[in-house]
Amino acid sequence: MNGPSVADMALLAPELILVGIALVLVVAARRLRSSAVPVIATVVAALAACFVCGWILSSEPKIGFGGMFTVDGYSQFFKVLIAATLVLVALLSVKSFERDNVPRGEYHALLLLASTGMMLSVSALDLLSLYLGLELTTLCAYILVGITVDKPTANEAAIKYFLLGSFASALLLFGMALTYGLTGTTDFAGIAQALTDQGPASSPLLLVGIGLVAAGLAFKISAVPFHAWSPDAYEGASAPVAALLATGSKVAGLAALGRVCQVAFASQEEVLTVVLVVLAGLSILVGSVIAVSQTDMKRLLAYSSIAHAGYALLGLVGGPAGGATATMTYAFLYVFMTIGAFGVVIALGRRGESLDGYQGLAAQRPVTAAIMLLFLLSLTGLPPTAGFAAKFVVITSAIRADQVVLAVLAVVCTVVTAFVYLRIAVFMYMKEPQQSQQPEPSRVPAAVTVALAVAALVTLIGGVFPGILTAWVVSP
Amino acid sequence: MNEYNEYIGIAVSFILAFGIAGAMVVLSSTLGKKKPTDVKLSPFECGMEPIALPMGRLAIKFYLTAILFILFDVELVFLYPWAVIYRDLGVLGLVEMGVFLGVLMVGFVYAWDNGALDWK
Repeated sequence: MNGPSVADMALLAPELILVGIALVLVVAARRLRSSAVPVIATVVAALAACFVCGWILSSEPKIGFGGMFTVDGYSQFFKVLIAATLVLVALLSVKSFERDNVPRGEYHALLLLASTGMMLSVSALDLLSLYLGLELTTLCAYILVGITVDKPTANEAAIKYFLLGSFASALLLFGMALTYGLTGTTDFAGIAQALTDQGPASSPLLLVGIGLVAAGLAFKISAVPFHAWSPDAYEGASAPVAALLATGSKVAGLAALGRVCQVAFASQEEVLTVVLVVLAGLSILVGSVIAVSQTDMKRLLAYSSIAHAGYALLGLVGGPAGGATATMTYAFLYVFMTIGAFGVVIALGRRGESLDGYQGLAAQRPVTAAIMLLFLLSLTGLPPTAGFAAKFVVITSAIRADQVVLAVLAVVCTVVTAFVYLRIAVFMYMKEPQQSQQPEPSRVPAAVTVALAVAALVTLIGGVFPGILTAWVVSP
Repeated sequence: MNEYNEYIGIAVSFILAFGIAGAMVVLSSTLGKKKPTDVKLSPFECGMEPIALPMGRLAIKFYLTAILFILFDVELVFLYPWAVIYRDLGVLGLVEMGVFLGVLMVGFVYAWDNGALDWK
């Protein structure tokens, strides 16, 4: 048994960059004078990781660390996306903690480590490395949710997230243990081989194992009925952290779910189709309907993200034959429109956190309102925005998988979400500003403007040229 | 399902234990008379009214020490098996352990930086 070689370490290059900068930030945390240094370090590290993933490492599938870790087109697509998310979230964090007593160096180190965990989990080829990556992400996320220690709501959110999150991790581990017990291996390819050899009439314990693994992963993407933590966690967390939870960690969970369903449990297609259809249908329905009654902007976006997780799952119901390309496209476009919507919330400060704060925004801040309208249209799924292209791809994929009922449900719920999102647009454009208004920052920091511009650009380009991603999306 | 036969006894005793205990709680709470008064609803404790947590209070610095102990404990857990075979691992093994200890020490340096070692 040999230890990892230098060639193995080269596969880890993007993760090593992020971890290296995170460790430097931790050591330097007490010596940082300027709050700009950690932001710049995070952005540079994320851009470097993005560059290494997208352009240096070749997309020829390579396996390292004794079959636990891979670099292939599937993982590289998600890593580029995760690195881009990290850049945007780091930019959005500028100035958003000025009134809170948040240690800047630690905050950015945690962002970097959480992203490292996401990258590890999209590259995992083994249940153990998958668990390691997901746990690194969630452990950092627990602290990030509660990082504004002076706010009781943040502490409450962190505790709730931690308790439910550790329970979900236990479920995931139990499912992995059962799978290992039945197949004798934790390696994805090995599990697939063992399940094929055992034939279709396999043990009922396998169903329990698959169900528990799916439940643990569904918690990470906050799919109904494992969604209860996300509105509370997003509401209590500061907006940039909520943006990271809604995008990066959800994307990593989706990628992991895609690989587990389509590689490890590929032979158990019938079971998984039922599980995924139920998760997708419930998420779309519950997320859309409950979002209608929300008055807090972060809770609204939380329910919106639950519904979107359901839409993203539509791309996986086709099983291995259907591929994961629809989900990949959806995840990519979803990240930018959601980060954009959170970015507007951040740009408006306290005012942006409640729905009433958007009343009369168009008259006071026409540009911010116009950008918000773009993201809202995209979240609804109207052309010519990216949301339309994304929903079109996943619903087509569901129809191709003969899930017509689910596809109809998805389309009907789009109408419900149209009410949710366009109500904000009505508030912005057709109402007078409120008299007693929450305070808002007088000007938006340049970094937030840049992040909003990038998100808006991708949202537009993704809608006008929907084919732009096709060369990049490859199934696991 | 023969390999599960020996578990049947355990299962039966579990079911009996939970069933009898659960039945007692459920029956007494549904059939029993309830005439609550303020005194009956107060926590059952002799003497003084409870004013402190049962375990008493513990200074937060003990938790810090405990966490620092875990840091070094985990380090030792990995050092022992490494020490047994480190001749076979060669230079690469030495470098790897150096990296591992370095990462652990970053955490220690951070704790030191933040005053975890000052016994105030």
